[in-house]
Amino acid sequence: MQSMVVTHDLTKTFRRPDGSEVQAVKGVELEIHKGEIFSLLGPNGAGKTTTISMMSGLLEPTQGDALIGGHSISKQPLQAKRLIGVVPQDIALYPSLNARQNLEFFGKMYDLRGNDLSGRVEEVLSFIGLTDRQKDKVDTFSGGMKRRLNVGVGLLHRPELVFMDEPTVGIDPQSRRRILDTVKQLRDEQGMTVLYTTHLMEEAQELSDRVGIIDHGEVIALGTQGDLIQQVGEEDQLVFAVGDQAVDSGLLQQIRDQVPGVTRTSYDPPGPGGESVTNTSGLILIQAKRGRKALPDILQITNRAGVEIQSVEVREPDLEAVFLNLTGRALRD
Amino acid sequence: MKVLQIAINDLRLFMVNRGNLVGLLAIPVGMTIILGIFIPSGRPSRIRVDLIDHDAGEVSAQFLQSLRQANSSIVLCPLDNDPEDFCQMEGDSTLGTEQALERVREGDSLALIEIPPGFSEQVRAFEPVRIRYVSLESFSAPSFIRQAVEAALTRVNGAVIASRIGAAVLPGSIVDEGYPQRVYTRAAELWEESPASVDFVLSAGEAPDPSSAPDLGGFGQSVPGMGSMFALFTVLGGMGILVGEKKQWTLQRLATMPITRAQLLGGKILSRFSLGTLQYGVVFAIGVVTGINFGRDLVALVLVILTFTLTCTALSFALGGFLKNEQQAAGVTNLLGLTLAPLGGAWWPLELVPPFMRVVGHVSPVAWAMDSYTSLMFRNGELQDVLVPLLVLAGMSAALFGFGIKRFRYEL
Repeated sequence: MQSMVVTHDLTKTFRRPDGSEVQAVKGVELEIHKGEIFSLLGPNGAGKTTTISMMSGLLEPTQGDALIGGHSISKQPLQAKRLIGVVPQDIALYPSLNARQNLEFFGKMYDLRGNDLSGRVEEVLSFIGLTDRQKDKVDTFSGGMKRRLNVGVGLLHRPELVFMDEPTVGIDPQSRRRILDTVKQLRDEQGMTVLYTTHLMEEAQELSDRVGIIDHGEVIALGTQGDLIQQVGEEDQLVFAVGDQAVDSGLLQQIRDQVPGVTRTSYDPPGPGGESVTNTSGLILIQAKRGRKALPDILQITNRAGVEIQSVEVREPDLEAVFLNLTGRALRD
Repeated sequence: MKVLQIAINDLRLFMVNRGNLVGLLAIPVGMTIILGIFIPSGRPSRIRVDLIDHDAGEVSAQFLQSLRQANSSIVLCPLDNDPEDFCQMEGDSTLGTEQALERVREGDSLALIEIPPGFSEQVRAFEPVRIRYVSLESFSAPSFIRQAVEAALTRVNGAVIASRIGAAVLPGSIVDEGYPQRVYTRAAELWEESPASVDFVLSAGEAPDPSSAPDLGGFGQSVPGMGSMFALFTVLGGMGILVGEKKQWTLQRLATMPITRAQLLGGKILSRFSLGTLQYGVVFAIGVVTGINFGRDLVALVLVILTFTLTCTALSFALGGFLKNEQQAAGVTNLLGLTLAPLGGAWWPLELVPPFMRVVGHVSPVAWAMDSYTSLMFRNGELQDVLVPLLVLAGMSAALFGFGIKRFRYEL
């Protein structure tokens, strides 16, 4: 299978104002195949955006390199950048210009001119469903429309590779659905390679041919979803909602020690989680082989401890479970 | 090509904001006109000319009196200093040669006249004697001070010639010892009473007719002054726009496109530079309408405009890297605009401020620009007369660009 992106020892170290250093990305080794959707899944602050920024030439790697279509982003940046379309996490548009003016300006930066440019602008406007709003200023657009235009700019020059950095952050479910469908279309209909970063397991599961899980700047697992889930084994995840009741570590230890099949326990308190997730209830998260069978014993222990269980959910193994298994934390922690 | 497209896009972004147009057109035009009308003349009505009189004799006194009459604007320093210390002597009652030369070099006085010892005796004896005249003015340019000096010398020489002729044409028996002196004194008196004289008017433009037209002399100060100040404001305002671009991530997006860093920065620099020159153009258009004198070397004038605007652009780049948000940028723009402009003589001529303030003022690029405008527009100077300020501004630009580009980051 042909490689579109190959990174070698990709590392980024930032210097803090106090002079100390923080390694945001640590020796990332990735290979993304041509024509696949590759998701980089990790919690906020894991290093996804820094990784994508180095691959797109925005940040200079402290160490290592990324080859885009065989071109080094450090040594041949212009050749590499011609192959890339970037959809940043932020809405990177000029709000005082209209949609068409934005597309035309950015198109010129990709060396599109004359009829090529206007034809391509029309196609993109149609693809993102903004043809009828092309003359409206961007600052009059809804969040979803801005997101779609943000995606459109990255597609103007028909790139072979699209970097999408959390493109669904902060938008309504309808617009999110539209963008996810767009990503699939790019692969299925236009043969593009997509590197998609997200902290939402559901998006990675729906879109990805392969997934890289990143945490604290390191890629800790990489493969197809089947490969990754297999790493966890056949464990289920049991999620007990406990409202705002206090859960001490002794209770979790008791469950681990006394219930057969339980391999891991954790407590996720109520409060804000990731950017689009808020916990209204505290959650006890338990990894267990044959989870349904372990359920009565767990309920008995929580009952004895005086913790009232408000709801129970049994989840089959998924990427969330993989992350939990690898890090001991939920993705949104 | 991409440099130009980035610059054009920036100009479009600037123009679509109506507030920016008010800042570019209405406010500068309004302020230039108001200041131009209310400042009666762009320059002071008196001129400092330093004098060192080693002779202190009768003829030198006569010469100085003639000089005052030849041009009433001339104040001989420190001889004719007033209680307000117009001569800026700061308590000194005498001037040394070195001190006086330094004052001329610094522009504290426009010229130095040094009368040698024995001047009176040598003149009377009709022996060759030379007065030293030092000025930074180009000798190819007409100088009203030099003309006044020559006129005064003509009177002195004329009186001496009259006395010698008087003594020579009369028989020796009737010419007593004091006769030549009496003829000299009478001749000098007649020179003073001479009916024809020149009334020097210091104005940037044509001499106004006080009976019909308003005094437009103030535009000679307000046009270059306000032009420089608003060019500085407009260009420094670019810091906020660049910070805004980083914040809205369009700058970072551009950095991921097939554009070199030089193209991207070149486009940003070109747009600010263009706006600065446009701002100058708007204000100088008022000068054209009011008919101020732009001097005889328009190429040099344009070079000053371009070099100063380049310095402002470099300054905005050097400072831009430290700013985190538009509010900071607006604060720094106002702070710098409202200090560098008056400090550099954009609001009033630097000749009006004490010498130490003139030295301090040259920290501001505005001062170097205003020095150049003064040379070109008031003293009819040429390119060679503004080479030093131009080199200083170019040096400032190079240093500030070097620093700014090195510190430039795409992220906030």
